[in-house]
Amino acid sequence: MTILATEGLTRRFPRVTALDQLTVTVGPGVTGLVGANGAGKSTLIKILLGLLEPSGGTAQVLGMDVTTRGAEIRRVVGYMPEHDCLPPDLSATEFTVHMAQMSGLTRTAARERAADVLRHVGLYEERYRAMGGYSTGMKQRVKLAQALVHDPRLVLLDEPTNGLDPQGRDEMLALIRRIGSEFGISVLVTSHLLGELERVCDHVIVIDGGKLLRSSAIGEFTQSTQTVTVEVEEGQDALAARLTELGETVTFHGRMLLVHVRAPETFDTLRDAVCELDLSLIRMEQGRQRIEDVFREPVNV
Amino acid sequence: MSESTGVIHDIGYRHYDGARLGRGHAVLALTVHSLRGVFGLGRTARAKIIPFLLVGVMMLPAVVSIAIMAVVKQKGLGYTEYAAIMQAVLAIFLASQAPYTVAPDLRFRVLPLYLSRPVTLVDYVGAKLAAMTTAMFLLLAVPLTVLFIGEMLIDLPGDTPTAAYLTSMAGAVCYAVLLACIGVAIASFTPRRGLGVASVIAFYLLTSAVSTVLFATLESMGNDTAAAWAWLINPFFLVDAAVQVGIFGAKPAQSSIYPSGAGTAVAIVIMLALIALSVTALIMRYRKAASR
Repeated sequence: MTILATEGLTRRFPRVTALDQLTVTVGPGVTGLVGANGAGKSTLIKILLGLLEPSGGTAQVLGMDVTTRGAEIRRVVGYMPEHDCLPPDLSATEFTVHMAQMSGLTRTAARERAADVLRHVGLYEERYRAMGGYSTGMKQRVKLAQALVHDPRLVLLDEPTNGLDPQGRDEMLALIRRIGSEFGISVLVTSHLLGELERVCDHVIVIDGGKLLRSSAIGEFTQSTQTVTVEVEEGQDALAARLTELGETVTFHGRMLLVHVRAPETFDTLRDAVCELDLSLIRMEQGRQRIEDVFREPVNV
Repeated sequence: MSESTGVIHDIGYRHYDGARLGRGHAVLALTVHSLRGVFGLGRTARAKIIPFLLVGVMMLPAVVSIAIMAVVKQKGLGYTEYAAIMQAVLAIFLASQAPYTVAPDLRFRVLPLYLSRPVTLVDYVGAKLAAMTTAMFLLLAVPLTVLFIGEMLIDLPGDTPTAAYLTSMAGAVCYAVLLACIGVAIASFTPRRGLGVASVIAFYLLTSAVSTVLFATLESMGNDTAAAWAWLINPFFLVDAAVQVGIFGAKPAQSSIYPSGAGTAVAIVIMLALIALSVTALIMRYRKAASR
C-alpha cells in the first residue's frame, strides 16, 4: 500500500528551485525525510497538503491527487508545523477542541478526542492553563496533539524535535514511534539529523537541493555505511597499516581511525590487531551516521 | 511518571470513526469561536472588560430613553439616529476588537494550522468577517431592540415605532457589514494588535474629522450642496444617507442634510464599493500570508 507518491515533482520559486524532479514513494509506518535547511522539506509538505501548486510533476497522498483533491486530503491528514503556532491566551484543551472542530468533528466528539489525544502526548493537569506559560516541550506536545486530534491516516511532522532538550527529544521520538506502530497512523517526519530518525523510522528519504539523494529502508541504510571509530593512545599509523594489510578499509579522522565494517569479522580483526601491536585502546565506537556521511557517499562510490 | 498515568496509558489509542462534517461546520465553528473571542468569552477576565464596558455604554441611551418615556411620557432617542449618535462607541468597539479576530492568528502563526484543514482561505476570511459583523450587529441591535420593547410596553400615544425600528434594524445590518469589513481589513495588515487598534481608530478619526471640517468650510463658503456631500466621507453618515434616509426615507441623523437627487444612489455605490474593496484587500492580504 502506498501512502504517498510523487512523480517528477518540481516546484520553482522566482529565485530558487525548491524541488527538482523529485520521485519518491512512501509506504505505511514511520518515514523520515532528511535534508539540510533549504533542502525542500517544507515545500514538499506544503505541496502534499495541497497548499502549494507544483510547477511540474504529480503528487498523490493516500491515493488522492494533491492538485484536485486537496480538501479531501486535508480532512484525513494531520500537520505539525516547524514554527510556533499556538495562541498564548488559550488553554491546550480549548485550542485542541477548536482545531478538532475545524477538522469536522462535532463539539462533543472534539472534546472527547482532545482529552484522549492530550493524554497520549503526555499533557495532564497543565492542559487547562493558558499556553503562553508552557515550556518548549509542552508546546511541541500540543502541536502534535492538534495534528492527531481528528485521527488522521497520515501525519506530517515538520521538525518535531526542534528546540527540545535531550530528554524531551527522546520522549518525542518515542511518541512518534508509538504513533506509527501502536496508533496505526502513518508518519512522515522531517529532521536535519539522520541519527535521530534512525531510531524511529522504517524508511528514510534524503533530499538535498530539492533532489532525491536516497530513499531506502532503514536496514539498508545503516548496513551499507557502517563504520567503527577506533581511538588508541599512540601508534594509530601502525594500526592503520596493519589493518590495511589485513584487507580492511581505514581512513583517518583526526586522532581517530574510521574502519569500514565489511562483515562482523571486522571487529575481530580489529581487536586482534590492537592486541598484536600491544596498543592502549581508548575507545571503539560504532559509527553514528550523520547527514554529512550520506552527502559524502556518492562521491566515494 | 506516577503510577496512575501508567494505568491511563494502558487504555491505548482509540480510533475515531464518528462523523466528519463538512466545511460548513468548520466555518461555523470558526465563526462562533471568533465571535466569542470578540466579547472576551473563553479568554482571560481582562479581555472581557473592554467589550462589556462598551456594551454597557451602548445600552445606556436606550435605558435612559425608556426612563424618559416612562416618566415624562415623551419620546427619547430616535431609532435611526442611534448609531450616528453613538458612533464613537461603535468605532472604539470596532477598533479594540476587530484586531483580535485576525492579528493573533497572524502573529502566532496559527493560520497554517487552519489552512492545513479542510477550510479554504476564503472560508477563513468569511468566518472572521461573519464573526465581526455579528458582533457589531449585536452591539447595535440589542439596545435598539430593548428600546423598542420598552416603548411598546410604555405604549405612548401616537404612532407605533415599528417602522422606525425596522428601518434602524436594516441600517444596523449595513452598519455592521461595512464597519466589520473595513475594521477587519485594516487590522489584518499588521500582526500586532496594538497597531491594528491604532490604525482602525485613526481611520475613524480621520474620516470623521475630514468630513466635519470639509462640511464646515463649504458651508461657510455658502456652498450648501457641496457641503452635504462632505457628510458621506464619514462611514456612519454614509450608511445613514444610503440606507436609512435614502432607501427607507427616515429623518437624517443629527439634522445633517445629505445630498439630494443622485445622492442616495452614489451613497449606496460608495458603501458597496467600500465593502468590496475591504473584502478584496483581505483576500489578497491572506493570499500573501498563506504563501509564506
